[in-house]
Amino acid sequence: MEEQAAQLTQAIDSILAGAGSLVPELLLALFFLLLVTLDLFKSKTVKRLLPWVALTGLFSVMVLLVLDRHVAEVQFLNLLRSDGIARYAGILFSLTGIFTILLSLQNPKIEKRKQGEGRGEYYALILMLVLGLNLMAKSVNLLMVFLAIEVVSIASYILTLTLKEEKRAVEAGLKYVLYGTLSAGVMLYGMSFFYGLTGSLDYTLVSFWRSLLDASPLMVTVAAILVFAGFLFKISAAPFHFWTPDVYQGAPMPIVALFSTGPKMAGIIVIMRFVAAFADPTIASAFSDVQLFLGIAALATLAVGNFTALWQRTPRRLMAFSSVSHAGFLLMALLAFGSDYTASVLFYMTVLLFMNFGMFLFLQMAEEDWQVRTLEDFQGMGPRIPFAGIMALLFLLSLTGLPPLAGFMGKLLVFSNVWEAYTATGQPMLLVLLVVGILLTGVALFYYIKIPYHLFLKRNQTAENLVISLSNKLLLVFFALPLLVFFFKPDLLLHWIEKLLA
Amino acid sequence: MNYTLSSLIFLPLLAALVVLLLPVRLERGIKAVTLGGTLLQLAVALWLYLGFDGTAVANGQTGYQFVEKLDWIGFSLGSLGRFQIEYFVGVDGVSIGMVLLTGIIGVIGVISSWNITKNIKGYFSLYLLLITSVMGCFLALDFFLFYLFFEFMLLPMYFLIGMWGGPKREYAALKFFIYTLIGSLFILIVMIGLYTSVIDPEATAQQMGLIGQSVPASLDLIRQVQQMLQQGAISQADLVRTFSIPAMMEPANFIPGSLLHVFSGVSLFDLPIRFVAFLLVLAGFLIKVPSVPVHTWLPDAHVEAPTPISVLLAAILLKVGGYGLIRIVYPVFPDAGAYFSTFVGGLGVLSIIYGALCALAMNDLKKLIAYSSVSHMGFVLLGLASLTNEGVNGAIYMMFSHGLISAMLFLVVGVIYDRAHDRMILNFRGLAKRMPAYTAFVVVAFFASLGLPGFSGFIAELLVLLGSFSAPEATGMLPRWMAIVAVIGLLLSAAYYLWALQRMFFGKYWIFPELRGKARLTDLTSREYLMLLPLAVLAFVFGIFPHLLLDKTGMTVTGFTELVLRNGQEQLNILQAILHK
Repeated sequence: MEEQAAQLTQAIDSILAGAGSLVPELLLALFFLLLVTLDLFKSKTVKRLLPWVALTGLFSVMVLLVLDRHVAEVQFLNLLRSDGIARYAGILFSLTGIFTILLSLQNPKIEKRKQGEGRGEYYALILMLVLGLNLMAKSVNLLMVFLAIEVVSIASYILTLTLKEEKRAVEAGLKYVLYGTLSAGVMLYGMSFFYGLTGSLDYTLVSFWRSLLDASPLMVTVAAILVFAGFLFKISAAPFHFWTPDVYQGAPMPIVALFSTGPKMAGIIVIMRFVAAFADPTIASAFSDVQLFLGIAALATLAVGNFTALWQRTPRRLMAFSSVSHAGFLLMALLAFGSDYTASVLFYMTVLLFMNFGMFLFLQMAEEDWQVRTLEDFQGMGPRIPFAGIMALLFLLSLTGLPPLAGFMGKLLVFSNVWEAYTATGQPMLLVLLVVGILLTGVALFYYIKIPYHLFLKRNQTAENLVISLSNKLLLVFFALPLLVFFFKPDLLLHWIEKLLA
Repeated sequence: MNYTLSSLIFLPLLAALVVLLLPVRLERGIKAVTLGGTLLQLAVALWLYLGFDGTAVANGQTGYQFVEKLDWIGFSLGSLGRFQIEYFVGVDGVSIGMVLLTGIIGVIGVISSWNITKNIKGYFSLYLLLITSVMGCFLALDFFLFYLFFEFMLLPMYFLIGMWGGPKREYAALKFFIYTLIGSLFILIVMIGLYTSVIDPEATAQQMGLIGQSVPASLDLIRQVQQMLQQGAISQADLVRTFSIPAMMEPANFIPGSLLHVFSGVSLFDLPIRFVAFLLVLAGFLIKVPSVPVHTWLPDAHVEAPTPISVLLAAILLKVGGYGLIRIVYPVFPDAGAYFSTFVGGLGVLSIIYGALCALAMNDLKKLIAYSSVSHMGFVLLGLASLTNEGVNGAIYMMFSHGLISAMLFLVVGVIYDRAHDRMILNFRGLAKRMPAYTAFVVVAFFASLGLPGFSGFIAELLVLLGSFSAPEATGMLPRWMAIVAVIGLLLSAAYYLWALQRMFFGKYWIFPELRGKARLTDLTSREYLMLLPLAVLAFVFGIFPHLLLDKTGMTVTGFTELVLRNGQEQLNILQAILHK
């Protein structure tokens, strides 16, 4: 009894000691509650204030994270780790949330729903989702990973259904829920295998991997496949990407932009933490199949994303497959075991954030203001919207990975890591990934260029100029500018990332 | 520091910014700014040409003039140590001709664009961007900088063809974009391989603390660092990897254990991995040259592009391909260059013959000229593959001369197309009667292109043939039959030009009935004189006084061939072990 009490006090002490690192999450939860409470008021002024309250919350979290200086230690009984990765990711997630709300404010469909019905819950859920993302990036324990992913998923399901009067939204929401819960169940099942085999859920322990080595290889493989099914689902990698196009077609544009960045980045960080053990060559050589399996998944993702995108006729579906292909690139980066790729991956994700949000803002304008539904609808519109057209061109070229835009820099860093890992290990899979990844850029150009192609090369009779609101123009510039800056001076960002990681 | 080269690169960019700021209706202003920008650039290029010292010793590795070197991007990447990207530009005998050419063609292209009417602002800003990136390509000595300009050429070109081109412009623009992008992706793979393998000895010495920051290293110190590197005596964290092209030419700068190191012993498809890398960059630049069998984008792009853009494409864009071979491919991979010389020379001969045969079969005058470009670019490959002084000088001379002459050729096609909206050879006969001055220029252009003595094309072809003929003895490259077969290409080019001349311009005046209503076959306007006359004079001047260019290129080429042959032989000996496994 005495002993147990002592243990309990110890546990409570360590929890209390770690609580300081949770301030951003607590702040997010606080603002979430605040939004839900404010939503109860009927006053129109209060309703109008809701997005700004959410923005304040996210912004203060971001400022907190930028200024914050936390030691990289494991907290909450080895459940969470607030290190440089988590901190930088937290900043990225706050930005994701801010951008999502900025896009929502520009979206007439979301803003003009009758009497702001469900406004509070919409913005509150965005906060909840960001909270879940933060937890995903901090988790170093399988159970915690699962819980964090579920927080994100549940918020995602509801956000997909924001425009519930639209049929395609309902379809997307239903599909998403079904696939999502299935994959969550499968992942949990796999985790239980791991627990059974190792007696631990903490995959940062060396003993976790040692006991896996002793276990039956078949069981380990099955467990790994089940767990990775869940991870890959979250980052929309093949063969678990089937939900992507449907959800991208049904959800409101700001939410699509959010899905294409936030959960994907968090999922990548989860995988990154999981495979971090392979930086140790002895473990890596014992589990060399992992590289092969994940390599095949990355190749499949790249191929499916890029080649399927070729046949898409709507910008939303095109962007869905583009997002699949970017998952492939990120996954490929994680396989460069032995080379220190964290900074490259974080850089790539930052660039992805800006270019995706820029592109989705453009598509939102196209859809809401100019009634563009298919790629053909862009025909000849370039001269009518020269400014927005050029901005879209920048985003698309950055997504393709052409200089002088940051997308190129991101890919260059990732490819350098893969090359370096290939030099060190001589794994043929890495060379295949590198060559395929680079050459698929050519394919990527083919579909990304379709939008500028219709915009500028095709001609159209009507010539009246379309008006673009100043706020939209400013936002486009805001998303495009970092893409140029991070191409010409990537060291600005890289130095900072290095400093955080150190 | 001297900012001549930067002003060459960024003058057009500055002009483009001014154009973008001008209101759309100020059409004359936009044209004037563009013309002013390119004229100024030409003036600087001329000044550079006059100031360039052709007697200075240079070999690609050293001996650059007007060098500007600034730190641009520097970052460390985990275990990879430091990376360094520099704004590093300079000029040597290989690039000086190309710079002058770009200056000249830049101005001619603006004059030829004077009657563009659609979306003038967009057109001229893209035009200036294109000139900037081509100029940047010729001057960059940092691989990253080079790649940036190399890729950035594609975009303006895509829109210039796609928005102002002919009926099938969308298809041609896309084909151009995809082809050349694939080429540059091959180059990207090798670039990644190279910069992760090569260090900058000077910066490494600074990083190690052997000398203070921003203190230049002495030659002895550089040797010492290179020796330490090869012995593995430098820790990973101190290595400063670089994109500098001259650094990549020095085998002692390769990190031991890196795949592209001569001693790496790694093979891929039974070839040393250096050879595979060579073949990749070679393919990348061959698409741009273009050489048979990757030339098919060129006729489409030429036919659909508006006249001034065709001029730019043929006269300067294609030169980037040949230039890249001389600047990067051969000096960085001399071993593979020597090993594959017959292959490259063979592609050259194939292009000469196949391009000429295609030109013979064309009914569209513009397509004929496009294929003649393929044929003439074959000489560049042949001359380069010979690795003799004559051959390489000839290759450079060919690029310069073809720049002048092909510009003229596409301009004369533009003249007839402007008047008749048609350029089928069989639809015209006896044009000489109606348009005598025009015909005179056509004759000059055709004869200059087919290599008549007295014009620059003759000098170039002569040098290439001399070089490739003497190559078996002089350098051990190329079988003798290649020079002989290439001569047949000369005959064929005489055939297609003279035949076209005879069909279109001589005999009794006749044009296709359907064209009679709309065609107004007046002779040259003063604007057309203004763009054709300088080119004709230049083709003549450089045909009579070849030393004007050869004096500038000579020393660099001598150094270049020596370097490639010496390093190539040494490294081939090492790689024999893999080749004869």
